[in-house]
Amino acid sequence: MIDKGMVFHIQRFSIHDGPGIRTTVFLKGCALECFWCHNPEGRHAFPEVRYFPERCIACGSCVTACPHSAHLLEDGVHAFLRERCEGAGACIETCFSEALQMNGRLMSAGEVMSEVIADRPFYDSSGGGVTLSGGEPTLDSAFALAILKGCKDRGLHTAIETCGECSWGALDSLLPVTDLVMMDIKAMSDERHRNATGKGNGRILANARLLALSGAPLVFRTPVVRGVNDSKEEIGQIASFIRELAGMRHAAARNGAAPREIRYELLRFHRLASDKYRSLGREYRAASLEPLPDEEMLGLLAAAEREGIDARIPQ
Amino acid sequence: MKPHAGVQELTFAERIAMLRATKMRHTEEKWRVLGSMDMDDLPVILPPPESRKVVRIISGSGLSMPDAVFSSFSPRSNHPSGGIFGARACGENIRALMEMHPPYIDPVSSLAGAYMAHFMSCRNPGWNPDFDYSHLQPEQEKYRLHHGIGAVQHFCQDMTIGFELGWGGILAKIRRFRNVNTDEEAQELYDGLEDLVRGFQNWIGRHAAAARLMAETEENPQLRRNLLEIADINTRLVTDPPRTFREACQWMLWYQLAGKMYNMGGALGRIDQFLYPFYRKETGEGTLTDEEATFHLACHFVMDTSYTQLGGPDAEGRDTTNPLSFLVLEAAHMLKVPVNVGVSVGRDVDPRLLSRGVEILFEDRTGIPKFLGVDRTSEGFARNGYPIALGRERAYSGCHWCAIPGREYTVNDCVKVNLAAVFDVALHEMMSVPGTVPGVEDLWSRFERHLRRSVEVVGESLDFHMDHMYRVFPELHLDLLCHGPIEKGRDASHGGVEFYNLCVDGAGLATVADSFAALEQRIDREGRMSWQELIRLIDGDWPGAGGEKARLMMKHVPRYGSGGSCADAYGLSIARTFTSIVRSRKTPHGFNMIPGIFSWAATIAMGKDVGATPNGRRAQEPISHGPNPDPGFRRDAAPTALALVVASVQPGYGNTAPMQIELDPGLSRNSEDRRKVVDLIRTHFELGGTQINMNILDRKAVLEAHADPSTHPDLVVRVTGFSAYFASLSPEMRQIVVNRIIAED
Repeated sequence: MIDKGMVFHIQRFSIHDGPGIRTTVFLKGCALECFWCHNPEGRHAFPEVRYFPERCIACGSCVTACPHSAHLLEDGVHAFLRERCEGAGACIETCFSEALQMNGRLMSAGEVMSEVIADRPFYDSSGGGVTLSGGEPTLDSAFALAILKGCKDRGLHTAIETCGECSWGALDSLLPVTDLVMMDIKAMSDERHRNATGKGNGRILANARLLALSGAPLVFRTPVVRGVNDSKEEIGQIASFIRELAGMRHAAARNGAAPREIRYELLRFHRLASDKYRSLGREYRAASLEPLPDEEMLGLLAAAEREGIDARIPQ
Repeated sequence: MKPHAGVQELTFAERIAMLRATKMRHTEEKWRVLGSMDMDDLPVILPPPESRKVVRIISGSGLSMPDAVFSSFSPRSNHPSGGIFGARACGENIRALMEMHPPYIDPVSSLAGAYMAHFMSCRNPGWNPDFDYSHLQPEQEKYRLHHGIGAVQHFCQDMTIGFELGWGGILAKIRRFRNVNTDEEAQELYDGLEDLVRGFQNWIGRHAAAARLMAETEENPQLRRNLLEIADINTRLVTDPPRTFREACQWMLWYQLAGKMYNMGGALGRIDQFLYPFYRKETGEGTLTDEEATFHLACHFVMDTSYTQLGGPDAEGRDTTNPLSFLVLEAAHMLKVPVNVGVSVGRDVDPRLLSRGVEILFEDRTGIPKFLGVDRTSEGFARNGYPIALGRERAYSGCHWCAIPGREYTVNDCVKVNLAAVFDVALHEMMSVPGTVPGVEDLWSRFERHLRRSVEVVGESLDFHMDHMYRVFPELHLDLLCHGPIEKGRDASHGGVEFYNLCVDGAGLATVADSFAALEQRIDREGRMSWQELIRLIDGDWPGAGGEKARLMMKHVPRYGSGGSCADAYGLSIARTFTSIVRSRKTPHGFNMIPGIFSWAATIAMGKDVGATPNGRRAQEPISHGPNPDPGFRRDAAPTALALVVASVQPGYGNTAPMQIELDPGLSRNSEDRRKVVDLIRTHFELGGTQINMNILDRKAVLEAHADPSTHPDLVVRVTGFSAYFASLSPEMRQIVVNRIIAED
């Protein structure tokens, strides 16, 4: 299925994913497994059923619709046996109370375009555009490229949000049609990164260097998570790395043209994803994690700024 | 009271805080005595407990509500029914009410006055039974029309007439024209107008005396000085026109309070224009500071929350935004009470006004200000065949409406065609005619036919209103400051003013659009149930477990507002059909009708008139609000999707179809985010939108206040065109507000 990709959400009037008023298209599937992930519904590349028991009216339609007996209705009480679910989605079609919802929709780039183009007047007036997020949009780089190219063909500003855990080839293929890259650096220590996300950071840092050299407009971001990267040392090291990248970019700049600056953003962890985990039947390992208070975030920001880079806390 | 002799003087900010606290006390007393109120924050102060009684009345917008009246005030009826009809009787009685009305002076305020009773609450019956419209009633009932017979106020005076003449000059003008127009209709009008002016003069004069008396015993020198100033100002204003900014504010307040008292009127209009000459002169002379001007404005707004427009084009299209426009915003910002301030947004309007408005909106979270698409409304008005200059002169002065100050009679916001009720008539007719093969196409043609007839009935009703209103309850208060009524000896409702553009609003657009879409998809296309089964279900209000499943099935189709859906197409068709029907003819007597789409707070009352509808709405639930989609129209509740669909259904003849929008406070923590909200607003207007009512709702506070209103007594929300204390609203209206934010989860 080359010309289609798995989309789990299209968010219009998205105002925190790049400049202006934007539409963010969330692609399903990610190579990392961050335990605090705000978008767990983007973790797997395959469609999944989300279940909201409080909406169920126990009508029993799903019981007859499901070929795998994943639904039971006993004494007027519905139970969803997720382990039997193969994601066929027959139950979704009959669930008018929206207790069962499909997470993930196979869409063509054209279908995505027809949705995102609706807000063109708002992109034009605000300097906004379209952002690809996820999940990890580079995992299905052919699909991502088709969408981004569609946007550029229509003169829309484009951005991608990436965790950086992807092949350079995938990332590089998107750059000609991407106006802004927003990339996470979650930890400088390989081990800490591995513990927090399931993978080391070698490829991510390598991609960061290549991105810096590519000259693409670039924002690095760190979701600040207690116990992972909430120390001034850690943030200072990331900032120092970003300063190095900026230096590389300057050195590589040709023809005396001023290279584009690299920005750094510290994002605050929040716990708004707990309902998502529940509806997906997954454990939320960050459930008891507290967001960092303002003063701590400001302390980290100061640590980043000490490295002489343009750092900020959005919002 | 904090200050005493020798103690530091109160600052303006401290005085404003004290005024707000006093208003809160008055408001809480009203909640205790009168209960909930689904309308504008009428700043009426209750009469003292020993001199009041509670009666049930019909408001100026047609809502039934409890109200307090003076127990000692006995109006004099001039009709066997017990009613008070015609200019003479109304004038005589409003004068009597004003003359017995106790003075109210808050020594902290720079302005005197408050009102304690509505004259309308003393008029029962409201309509003169001699003017029988039983021939219209069967069809008015059939379509559940808000037909406009008996509608009062809802147009706008020209305040500059009063500023130029003062009460003495107005009285002289009445007496001069009394000798010109000698027919009985004119003479009766002059009697009524003269009594009203005399009532004003007595009321103001007694306040001057009361202020002087209070000053004698006031120990605080600052407040004593203030009371003496109030006494001097009001002694002069009994006859003379205002000379200073403060006097103009005081004059305006008297006029507004009396409007509320007479018929709950009181459209302010372009306050930053008609007060500006006073402001400019005095600031130029160095006798008025911006801080003091803001304070006087706040003293006005704490007593009168009427509708006002800031900025916007003059007749030639030049922006009129001035320093006073910003001070009005700041006054509302400092007060944080439900003031209805509208900020003009347009091609040539100073963009700083919009930016400041959005900042205040996010900072205060009171739904203030609202936003006015002045280019669209003035261009639209020109499509009625008027010069665009007239459209630009129309001033925002009511919930969703504009009027040319002093020159236009409109019955704005008083006439509603309940589209859901018309749809219901069409559906049941289709199902009851033997031999009919039911289908959406057939239903549409019946809906269109009944819609046409319902608008015709509105037209006939409006003619009846225009024929008789001046002999029932003339617009004495507004007549005083209009161009024509005094000069011609004719009430504004009976030929007194220059322009007659009668507002006809459609209501329940999403309810009907979603219903058509659900029927087309579930019955005609998918065949999931029969038409007979559907009728059984909606007539039984979705009975039993099967009914609930069917209800959800009907509800679960792509909705109006989702973008590109069948329901969106129906929404557009309904809006265009309604517009074209209203525009296709004048009333039988030749009055121009202008379509709008707005349901106001009557979204609840109109819902009670309609059984279950095929969009999954239960019987008697509110119909959809104005041109808005129903909450939950998209999972992401995208404001851009909302802005697009509301812009697409605008009737386009100068009256509005306002977008009601709720934004999360978290959206705007910095100036960059606020700029995006500014871009959203501007783009909606560029796409054709006419007005935006925007709330920044703190979800936690709203939910807590819904469960127990006493937890957040000062929470202010923009309910619809008006803003109000959330705690003032009925549980049903609060639920509507709550639904808007819950749906975004």
